[in-house]
Amino acid sequence: MISDALLFWFLAFVTVGSGLAVVLFTNPIYSALSLVMTMVGVSALFVTLGAYFIAGVQLIVYAGAVMVLFVMVLMLFDLKQELMAFSRGQITGALKVISAGLFLGLIFGIITKRSNLSFVDKIPSPADINIDNSKELGTVLFARHIFGFEALGVLLLVIAVGTVALARSKGGTHAKH
Amino acid sequence: MLNTDVFVNIGINHYLGLSAILFVLGLMGVLLRRNAIVILMSIELMLNAVNLTFVAFSRYTHRIDGQIIVFFVMTIAAAEAAVGLALMVSIYKRFKEVNIRFFEHLKG
Amino acid sequence: MGKDLFEVVVNCVKLLAIFLFMVQAVPILVWLERRGSAFIQNRFGPNRVGPLGLMQLLADALKFLKKEDFAPEAAVRPLFYAAPVFALIPATLAYCAIPFSIPLSVEAFELFGQSWGPYIFKMQGYEMNVGIVFILGVSSLAAYTIMMAGWGSGSKFSLMGALRASAQIVSYELALGLSIVGVIMLYGTFNLTDMVMAQQGPLQFSAFGKVIQLGWLPNWGIFYQPLGFILFFAAAFAESNRLPFDLAEGEAELVAGFHVEYGGFKMLMFFIGEYGHMLIASGLVATFFLGGYGIPIWTVADVRAWLGTMFESPQTVDLMTMLIHLVSYLTKLAIFLWIFIQVRWTLPRFRYDQLMELGWKTMLPWALGNTIVTALVIYLVS
Repeated sequence: MISDALLFWFLAFVTVGSGLAVVLFTNPIYSALSLVMTMVGVSALFVTLGAYFIAGVQLIVYAGAVMVLFVMVLMLFDLKQELMAFSRGQITGALKVISAGLFLGLIFGIITKRSNLSFVDKIPSPADINIDNSKELGTVLFARHIFGFEALGVLLLVIAVGTVALARSKGGTHAKH
Repeated sequence: MLNTDVFVNIGINHYLGLSAILFVLGLMGVLLRRNAIVILMSIELMLNAVNLTFVAFSRYTHRIDGQIIVFFVMTIAAAEAAVGLALMVSIYKRFKEVNIRFFEHLKG
Repeated sequence: MGKDLFEVVVNCVKLLAIFLFMVQAVPILVWLERRGSAFIQNRFGPNRVGPLGLMQLLADALKFLKKEDFAPEAAVRPLFYAAPVFALIPATLAYCAIPFSIPLSVEAFELFGQSWGPYIFKMQGYEMNVGIVFILGVSSLAAYTIMMAGWGSGSKFSLMGALRASAQIVSYELALGLSIVGVIMLYGTFNLTDMVMAQQGPLQFSAFGKVIQLGWLPNWGIFYQPLGFILFFAAAFAESNRLPFDLAEGEAELVAGFHVEYGGFKMLMFFIGEYGHMLIASGLVATFFLGGYGIPIWTVADVRAWLGTMFESPQTVDLMTMLIHLVSYLTKLAIFLWIFIQVRWTLPRFRYDQLMELGWKTMLPWALGNTIVTALVIYLVS
């Protein structure tokens, strides 16, 4: 129990710290690398929640593919330090921070005050945390959510065609001359 | 004697609170940063926070559908990143800059 | 981690031992590579220091340690220094998830005036139900090391090398992942130990309600998934940046790719990372397609029964069974490592567009086809 708690607080510290670094670093490459750190942390949090397969997919898709693309594009641009990384205007900036903070406070209030979320267990039952649920996941995905799955397939096809079209259009990386 | 129950018994509220913090961090990134790629990355951060909420609920309600939604969110995030980055490359080639202030004259 | 102190300590020592094995295998592999390449090219290779030139590795390591530690003027210091350290992490994490041998059971014994209950120690760093997904995910983090090194060096050669390498890794990860989907469907599990267990004994499968058995062939995945084996092995070459896929360090045009600016101990860490990926690839090929630590045709129970006729105490039989399977695993590992080395000194390098075409237009469709055909066959046969 205590080791679980220590693990959670460590991971929470890592994810929040690196998430903060994403926003605060003026060099976008450091932001991207911090975001990778956040995603690895979130993946570890998925493991603590017993979602092993999702944790692996998070590593492969987010950390291994999406963020590699981001870092690659940033390295090609070679922006180094940004002179104007943040928005102009002290007052508007402060307003934005304050409103985001109020939003956070609102969510926290809802979470802590409305503690009668009757449909959830407060404390996890330790029995089912080590069960391999990937088989069940597949069954549910291809039975109950088959329409969403097929729709995603179509979406990915559209995205692939669209991205190629973007790259080949005027001004793209593979523009026709 | 301080009540250490909050720190030791990790429940769903902890995960929800953590994901709320991550979500608001992403929100601040979107609001404050001016580099369009960093804004895209902040959106990814927000999506990650939402994924964490889904998985936490799926764990504590013993329903696996939350994890399916995480699949869908991940796919859409990957697609969004691909299109967003293709756009960014086009914009960079045109303006030599990805700061959002530099292509404001797209409007009207 | 374990239920009492003894088990926790043993598990920690085990992790450390696996890491040390990986690190210690590197100088031997370097020696093997240099002697092997010399043998292939009709040269002598390093043969002066010690017997067979084996001490050459120690001398090299000493030279690496003594070199001056410097960073180029244009380098981004934090990334430049962090990259070699991060090069070790994905390789180590992935290697710890591969099973070496059957679990070793230890009976209850007395120590320090206390009785320590019976234990079962798994001969792998940690067992995971989603072992394959974990290994793929962790090893995909290797791309960051390369990009950190390439961009952090502040040199255009290293940046070009890093871009080539990371594009190659991302492209071939797809073929790598798809080529083992057939294996996963065949065994119906993500767990590597379960996979090894499914490949025990002689070739045997049930089709259309009949059981077909071929006594002279082992029940290995390579006989069910020959195309998957070829695709996986080729993609594994690309993932570990070895020839014929080592465009990242094409010395003719890029000097040495992403690690041009590195020297001394930092260079050594990249070396360990690269050879670590070779070890992972060999271990995975052996586990998926060649029965892992299993012995051809014999099952674990057969080995145990055979040893039972020779030794009396069950503890010794257990230990000997474990050791025999460990030797079997290491033999398979060594064969594949030798194939890696042999290929490196035999084949020429691809051109970059050929590499991308091979990855996207040849291997990906074939892997997809393999998946579909496997699924159809499994559906029809069962």
